[in-house]
Amino acid sequence: MLSEIIIIVVRGIAIGSIFAMIAMSFNIVHGATGILNFAQGNMLVLGGYAAFFLANNVGIGWWLAMLVVTGVLVAVVLAFQGWITLLPLRSSVEQDSWIISTVAVSVIVGAILLITQGPFAYSVQAVVPPFRILGVRTPGAYGLAIVCMLFWFFAMRIFLRKSFLGLAISALSQDFDAARAAGLPVRRLQLVAFAISGLMIGTAGFLVAPVISVSSDAGLRYVLNGFVAAVVGGIGSNLGTLIGGPLVGVITMLTAYRIGGAYQDLASLAVLVAILMVRPQGLFGRTSARRV
Amino acid sequence: MNASAKTKPRFSSDLPQVWIGIALIAITGFGPSIMGNAYWVHTFQLVNIYIAVAIFQNFLFVDAGQKSFGQGVILGLGAYVAAIFFGLHEYSFAVAGLIGLFAAFLGGLLFALPALRVQYFHLGFVTLSAAIVFPQLLMSMDKWTNGINGISVSIPWIHEEPIAGISLLSFLVALYPMLALGIHYAIRRSRLGRQLRIAAVSPEAARTLGIRPGVMRFLAFIIAAIGTGVAGLLYLPTVSFVSPQGFNVELSFVFFFAVVVGGRGQMLGPIVGMWIVFILPNILLAQFVEYRLLIYGILTLVTVMLFPDGIVGTIERWRVTRGVTGRGEQGFRLDSFIDGLEGEDEHKPTDKIAVEVRGGTKRFGAVVAVNNVDLSVRQGEVHGLIGANGSGKTSLLNVLSGLSRLNAGSFLIDGKDATRMSADRIANMGLGRTFQTPRIFREFSLWENLKIGMDAAEGEPGRDIVKLANALEAEFSQDSAELLSHGQRRLAEVMRAMLKEAKIILFDEPAAGLSQSEREHFAKLVHFLSRKMGKTIILVEHDLDLVWNVADRITVMEQGSVVASGEPEEMAKDPAVQHMFVGGRLA
Repeated sequence: MLSEIIIIVVRGIAIGSIFAMIAMSFNIVHGATGILNFAQGNMLVLGGYAAFFLANNVGIGWWLAMLVVTGVLVAVVLAFQGWITLLPLRSSVEQDSWIISTVAVSVIVGAILLITQGPFAYSVQAVVPPFRILGVRTPGAYGLAIVCMLFWFFAMRIFLRKSFLGLAISALSQDFDAARAAGLPVRRLQLVAFAISGLMIGTAGFLVAPVISVSSDAGLRYVLNGFVAAVVGGIGSNLGTLIGGPLVGVITMLTAYRIGGAYQDLASLAVLVAILMVRPQGLFGRTSARRV
Repeated sequence: MNASAKTKPRFSSDLPQVWIGIALIAITGFGPSIMGNAYWVHTFQLVNIYIAVAIFQNFLFVDAGQKSFGQGVILGLGAYVAAIFFGLHEYSFAVAGLIGLFAAFLGGLLFALPALRVQYFHLGFVTLSAAIVFPQLLMSMDKWTNGINGISVSIPWIHEEPIAGISLLSFLVALYPMLALGIHYAIRRSRLGRQLRIAAVSPEAARTLGIRPGVMRFLAFIIAAIGTGVAGLLYLPTVSFVSPQGFNVELSFVFFFAVVVGGRGQMLGPIVGMWIVFILPNILLAQFVEYRLLIYGILTLVTVMLFPDGIVGTIERWRVTRGVTGRGEQGFRLDSFIDGLEGEDEHKPTDKIAVEVRGGTKRFGAVVAVNNVDLSVRQGEVHGLIGANGSGKTSLLNVLSGLSRLNAGSFLIDGKDATRMSADRIANMGLGRTFQTPRIFREFSLWENLKIGMDAAEGEPGRDIVKLANALEAEFSQDSAELLSHGQRRLAEVMRAMLKEAKIILFDEPAAGLSQSEREHFAKLVHFLSRKMGKTIILVEHDLDLVWNVADRITVMEQGSVVASGEPEEMAKDPAVQHMFVGGRLA
């Protein structure tokens, strides 16, 4: 009984850390462009595939090298997607074509994975050995997920507050027109934001590959849970994702244990609808942005 | 070149598109039956059902501005629940159908309830999430749904062929998308349709016209759910089988993508789009069936990048740019219409107070935009509100129209406390306003842009207003509002407030960007509104000549506070005002 509670909490927080990283990777792009990338879940899964092909059953040195390679690869893919997504926005009066294009990219990536890799889930060998928490054996990748979330949280905090590039991207999220008027290269900064989001989500996918479902159809489910985590924490707030992610993780894990694995996504949908009805700005969100 | 009224091209091709659409559905719905080709009969039955769903998706997408990735769920709810009651529990088809429709309605409610609070991408994720969850539930709730085995149904009577080899089913599935097209067109032309669209394009302007955007989104989801649910009932006899795989995420994407590829907002868009998105990969490229999703995705991405208006939309745009010519500065003048109005006798400001602010304070963080302001505006007067940029004039207007709320103090409209009222309630109390950037909707013809004011009027329009409206409709119903100059856009907004029969009108820097002749014209209009129609007017303006010309009283604001208030003559002598004039011209 006690061990079940520990499993639910520990694994819930760990799975939730993955959701939190998706949410953080949402935040940087959303701040810089106003875009929420519907294909972000596929990018996480891409990191998982990379772990399978580049770093399955390898030594720790090679594994670390491939972690970096994967991060860079996914960053390039996302920067390219960002470029495609931002192209039509340059002229079009209507600003929401990005919803269509990111959903289309999500479908395309999923379809390519399905065609080339088939519908099965790949299993990736763990590099970090299992460890025990209060006597409960826990796969190492769960620990990695939590560490990775904390790493990216602090890395982003320092990057956005201390580096020139990070400050420029923060400026975009504060006031778009003012940033442009101040002579910031807006489009290039937005692409950098996309790339950083890719770096984050690619490394996350690589590290947690042993415990996620590395399959062509998993992306949509991850992006939704990531979005729920972002909404619970408040879109734009990385601090919020640290709460929102693990909260959603524990709730879905609890559902899986008590009701059934098939109802996990239903549970996140319920959380999403509930939070939108009760507190649409999330736990740490600002109330709706200023408008003239 | 002078485009005379007779050769003026249609502003909107919606109606011809509806007729073409009905013809296309009739050909594909009845043609194969007459030719006796069973394969195409069945294919087009399914395609036409999907077209009906896509029509409601199109309505939701453009008329209500909501991106839903979950319309397949609603279709599935209608079909599946009807199948459960009809196929497994042997209810009559009518009863099972009603229950199925109710289930679709409940599904719509799941989307519609969050829509009351949020919009935009939030609802995209809610609907997408439902699309993922739905097939999972069909699988796991196998006690009720038969799980992966699905449910087979047989409805022999619906396949009988009363005339010309056309079965009752063929009739129904061809007539329904035609009806859906008609419904979409009728809603778009109605007051509800216009209000849905304003709420979608500019929620802020909608609220000042007495519209509640959340309610509009709610209604749109419900309408779409019922329309899609009926399509689900037709799906059941057409396919004779429902299974979880039939209602996966992919299906919802098909509806969404069909609308994008065909042309968002175009009446023909869903038809052309569904033909391409569904028929191309499923029939013509059937040997590459595993590439289907890839084809959907690429078609959609290419559409968004190369011709975002979609196929029909691109053709329509070409027609419009070829046909429409601007009418220049003479294109939209209101003098002739206003001269036609007799108006009441000369009105004078009364002693009753129309708008009163008591100790109003509005803060934005540390900035105090409006600081302990007292203001009273008499009924029927033109009240000028002047002051430097950032002195809090527009903030005060936003408070009065309910777009933002006072932190302290209160204000009354016609003696009623309106401090905590929402913008739509204040609008419905007879307040109208214009914006610094005029809210002109390019989706609407020029006349419709004015008519939305009438839509927002409380009570029946007066005789003069009806006469004026008829004249405006005759003149401007085929004009595009996009071609109006900045000054004309302002006049259009003023006219909108006039047709709304607002008793109190707030003008936010109306003269900015107006030419000299337009300013004179505007001053005349304000005078007319006040003296002939008895409106109360609050005028925020930098053009001091204009203000002194038309205002009965003037209030000066500085850094959020009122520094002086009084009649124009005495105000001109006030030291707080004098420094605002170059060389003390009015002194």
